[in-house]
Amino acid sequence: MGFNPLEHQGIPLERQVRDWRELDVDPVDPDRGDPYTRCRIITMNGIEVEAILFNHQFARHCPDAEVKRQLAQVRYVEAQQQKAVNWLLPGLASVLETTIAYEQVAVDLTGWVARHEPDPYLRQAYEFGVLEDFDHLYRYANLYEMIEHRKAESIVDGLTEVMPGRPTKFHHRDPYDNVRDPYDRGTTDPLSKLHALTIMSAEQQTMNFYMNVGPQYMEPIARRLYQEIGLIEEEHVTHYESLVDPGETWWEQLVNHEYNECYLYHSFMEQEPDPKVRAIWELHLNMELEHLRIACDLMRRHDGREPREILAPELPNVLTFEENKQFVRHLLDTQMDLTTLGAGYVRDAHERFQRMQERIHGGQEPPSEQVMAQHREMFGREYRMETEGPHPDIASREK
Amino acid sequence: MAGITASDTDVVALLMRQHGDIRTLFDEVERATGNERRAAFRRLVQLLAVHETAEEEIVHPFTRLSVPDGEKVVEDRLREERKAKETLSQLDDMDPDSPEFLPALEAFRLEVMAHARAEERYEFNHIRRTAGPARLAAMAAALRAAEAVAPTRPHPGTESAVKNLMLGPVASVMDRTRDAVRKAMGRNG
Repeated sequence: MGFNPLEHQGIPLERQVRDWRELDVDPVDPDRGDPYTRCRIITMNGIEVEAILFNHQFARHCPDAEVKRQLAQVRYVEAQQQKAVNWLLPGLASVLETTIAYEQVAVDLTGWVARHEPDPYLRQAYEFGVLEDFDHLYRYANLYEMIEHRKAESIVDGLTEVMPGRPTKFHHRDPYDNVRDPYDRGTTDPLSKLHALTIMSAEQQTMNFYMNVGPQYMEPIARRLYQEIGLIEEEHVTHYESLVDPGETWWEQLVNHEYNECYLYHSFMEQEPDPKVRAIWELHLNMELEHLRIACDLMRRHDGREPREILAPELPNVLTFEENKQFVRHLLDTQMDLTTLGAGYVRDAHERFQRMQERIHGGQEPPSEQVMAQHREMFGREYRMETEGPHPDIASREK
Repeated sequence: MAGITASDTDVVALLMRQHGDIRTLFDEVERATGNERRAAFRRLVQLLAVHETAEEEIVHPFTRLSVPDGEKVVEDRLREERKAKETLSQLDDMDPDSPEFLPALEAFRLEVMAHARAEERYEFNHIRRTAGPARLAAMAAALRAAEAVAPTRPHPGTESAVKNLMLGPVASVMDRTRDAVRKAMGRNG
């Protein structure tokens, strides 16, 4: 605690480019590592992918050739960071195993953020999303048992329960209702900005992942399920990105991105039990401190503002991967039947929602229901892992 | 037979599920101790024997004949298999409760899983691409005949528990698997 990234010096940028040997990281063991180590890897990959894509967008809107070159230099290092981080994932894992790990990230990262979000409107947005990713985990876990004859508990390791959340078929809302109201960049808690950026990045990476790996499946039910959940991830990106104040300047956004990367590498360094992985978090933190310094200089020069005005005086509490079982159960008990209306939430299936449902389902059961029917036919039961007792929502208990 | 669904007539789906069963058995060996570990390890070795024999009799011949450059694909798989067998023979000489057993088992598990993933990615996808539904079903029937020699999971209505106990030495399991497969292939293929 008490770590202020603005007061620490990182590795000079000209010494940050790594050679092939340094990029050739040792992957983690797919079966014996801490599941939350894999969650941290997946999270930081999403953060680095967002860093790269944001930086590219910035460059495309930037008329100043010198700034463009500086952005390119930092971006190249971030591209190397993304390689080092994501290549920690083992080639031995199947795509579906990595998918289940992505959903574990979505549940436990969003769950933690929801519990620590100071703004009630933003907290509601995270609480709303948790129950959907939680249901995706359950659908993919059933697909996993059908295709690979393995139980998802071997991946999530009892840290995250596997049972129905808000049913996936009800996640298909009219896009009009996916846009939330943004926080106010002038008055919001700096922590809220970091939360929004983190969850938006994680969901964006999940969307990218499903849109790319889905068609690699041969099994028709797998192809269909990735298509359905992939579309919902797009809704989630819309949902979370709209929380960010669009009035932030490019320079300000760049500073927020770099600050958030410092925050997360610092957090993960503090809790990482795997020494090889921890060494990467520490190295990358030291790189990000320099990226932040460069971003702050750019903001001072081009925005004429002092970055300290928009940042927290020190890093917030360590963002932690830990169990959220009781929190999720509380949401299952109270928020299962929510949907969105405009920028708010309601319990009734309103007209626009109904219209969208009729349109997309076309009178059929969607893939997320087909997968359960096929699983039941094959095994005579569902796959669930309810470690803390029966499902809190009586209607969602297995019949 | 109970529990048949559409994918039970697809040899690739069955083989992938066997890969999952094999990995689950590794977990059981690791978790158990003493005689239980010995028994779980025997079950693992026998399932591997059945699985690999069935692949050698059913899957690899198809790949060799029908997949472009299939000979090379099979060669790579056999190389992985030989390497895993070497590790297995070292494991076989160890006392399962000795301190060197678990690290050796870990190495063996990684070799077996790497081999299984390679099959799924570089061999099975070609089989699905090349074989029609009838061929996939014929191969699936042969694989089920092999499974019956050493059931990987209890089949309702069969005396699998008794059969598991009566399996005997690995070599004889492989022989019986081969016989069962050839009989089934003769009938279906």
